[in-house]
Amino acid sequence: MDSYLDNLPVFVDTIKSIKETIITNIVLIGQVPSPTFKEKRRTSIFMERLAEFNVDECTTDGYRNPIGIIKGTSKTKPPIFVVAHLDTIWGTDIDHYYTIKENSITGAGIMDNSIGVGVLVSLPEIFRKLNLSFESDIVLAGVIQSLGKGNLRGIRHLLKTWATPIRGAVCIESNELGRLNYYADGMTRCEIDCNISTINGWEHKFKPNAILVLNEVINQILKLRLPQKPRSRVIIGKMSGGFKHGMIANDARLGFEIQSNSDKMVKSIFNNIKDIVEGISHEYEVELKLKTLSNIHAARIKFNHPLVKSTVDVMKKLGLTPASEPCESELSIFLSRKIPAVTLGITRGENYQQTNAMVEIEPMFKGIAQIIGVIMAIDSGVCDE
Amino acid sequence: MNRSWLEKNTFHYSEFNDLNRLVEEKQRKNLKISLCLPTLNEEKTIAKEILIMKSELMTRYPLLDELVVIDSGSTDKTRKIARAYGADVYEATEILPDLEQFKGKGENLWKALYVTKGDIIVYLDADIKNIHHRFAYALIGPLILFDNIKYVKAFYDRPIAIGKSKIRPTGGGRVTELVVRPLFSLFFPELTQILQPLSGEYAGFREIFEEIPFPIGYGVETSMILDIYDKWGLDVIAQVDLDRRIHRNQDTRALGKMAFVILMTFINRKRRLGLIDLKEDLFNEMIQYNLVKNEYKPDIFQIEGHERPPIVEIPAYREKFKKSL
Repeated sequence: MDSYLDNLPVFVDTIKSIKETIITNIVLIGQVPSPTFKEKRRTSIFMERLAEFNVDECTTDGYRNPIGIIKGTSKTKPPIFVVAHLDTIWGTDIDHYYTIKENSITGAGIMDNSIGVGVLVSLPEIFRKLNLSFESDIVLAGVIQSLGKGNLRGIRHLLKTWATPIRGAVCIESNELGRLNYYADGMTRCEIDCNISTINGWEHKFKPNAILVLNEVINQILKLRLPQKPRSRVIIGKMSGGFKHGMIANDARLGFEIQSNSDKMVKSIFNNIKDIVEGISHEYEVELKLKTLSNIHAARIKFNHPLVKSTVDVMKKLGLTPASEPCESELSIFLSRKIPAVTLGITRGENYQQTNAMVEIEPMFKGIAQIIGVIMAIDSGVCDE
Repeated sequence: MNRSWLEKNTFHYSEFNDLNRLVEEKQRKNLKISLCLPTLNEEKTIAKEILIMKSELMTRYPLLDELVVIDSGSTDKTRKIARAYGADVYEATEILPDLEQFKGKGENLWKALYVTKGDIIVYLDADIKNIHHRFAYALIGPLILFDNIKYVKAFYDRPIAIGKSKIRPTGGGRVTELVVRPLFSLFFPELTQILQPLSGEYAGFREIFEEIPFPIGYGVETSMILDIYDKWGLDVIAQVDLDRRIHRNQDTRALGKMAFVILMTFINRKRRLGLIDLKEDLFNEMIQYNLVKNEYKPDIFQIEGHERPPIVEIPAYREKFKKSL
């Protein structure tokens, strides 16, 4: 362990020496729009680039997640997964062309998750440059249908259909360098639709306003008494509705997430909100529909798990201070399948999830060295106990 | 009119994506290849072009031997960024400083011939938002693989970036369709087979470029085609479909100025070749009008129409490259 820890600072310089190739991969893949459910073009580029770097196998699984495999030296050790989600929140009509300056890259999707995907595709070349080989096969997977209504379908399918055990996994996100996620909260993502009939009838002497109805739903959600333990919260994240300024809104939609480190509590809060929705629907005589978009179970490895401890060592060796929060991403699917995994960020930036998102180039090389260090830790057996 | 050229000499970039083959052939023929990016305030796109070309066509496949930026005096960070990413950067005024100085794209392309070492020179505009290494290798491919081809021109389906972040699906090439194509149709119908004569991406052998004059401004693409056609015929020219090119949109007034320069270049070429006779000289001012406080005010754009001679006629060049007239 210590021997490769000592090498990590040197790795940073070697990785930096091929920065043109790494940034080229980030740009060539990241500039291809890839909204959730429409990742086909980005998948093709991802495969093309992986094939260019001579991975031993390059294929897609039954769900069209693109995968590259670098064969390991051992015939018995299970594979190590390195994954990054391919989808973005931006549609095909948004300009995805990046601007590169001396120490920054700017453009839609760069922070979520073009850096992650570009680095993933660059790993075969980085391993070659660092003269690294592994006992385990390294499976490089760009997973589709991860965000929002995608509900992590890509990674769910990949792991469900993967025939052999998996040794451990690293999930790559563009930002934020220093993050160390090793636990996932239980989460239910929901939408409430409010529709007011446009036909004038006896039931509405005073026509209700869909936005105000949802406002009442929000007020009642905010009145819920949520426990501090198990740690729980409801995040009101999205709202839309109405037609024009001077007209009562007939339609409105509210998007929210229930998060808790207890699945039971998520379910309980969901039931409370369901009661609120039914009550308001009855009292206001409007149609309110509560839909569940996705569910994630709470799962974790402990802070003293050897993978987490090794990751902390790797980060400290590189001068990074680990910061941990719950993470509802590919990580949760690995953990819920009892596969030790962490999520790491590559670099720092600003304007997250804006069309002018910007990342810094220089910290990226440390971020990549950290990924390599953790893969080496897994290959040395920290997940095998 | 020879209409078979379009079929014989038109390629798609995918025909040249076996980069190992191109590198082998380049080495077998002992050729050196230079990439030149002429710039003027291109800080938004220059780094991307340099990075991708260096990574793919220098580090991974040694197809390019050098990458040179010739700048017309940018006031933004173009030169600083280009240097930071490893390009050889020159200000046009530093090259052949004893000659009278002009400013323009054609001037940069002409001076690039003096500072580059390649047997083949690839010229790419520096404002390509969707730059990909195919922009270079696909222009190089026909030059390396077909002995008769000496000059290759790009064409595209070119959407234009509009507004802040939206993309319009089709468009572009207005000056081509409204000015150049009608002129070619009237005077050189064979040349209408060149689908985008104004595209800013082309490559050719030094022996071609050094023998032709370069207008210093917008007219350089048109004059290049006319001169190559006149000296060596259409068969030394090829064109390659590079798929899509995303670039900055220009407003109608700017395109008007471009059209003016191209018309001027075209007519001067025709006259020099003895194909037309003008009773008097052309005016050198493009006059556009603005409505300012209910008054029409002329906006006059003056073109001197300077042109550099074939660089082989410059003694310093002949000395550097051991050439004789």
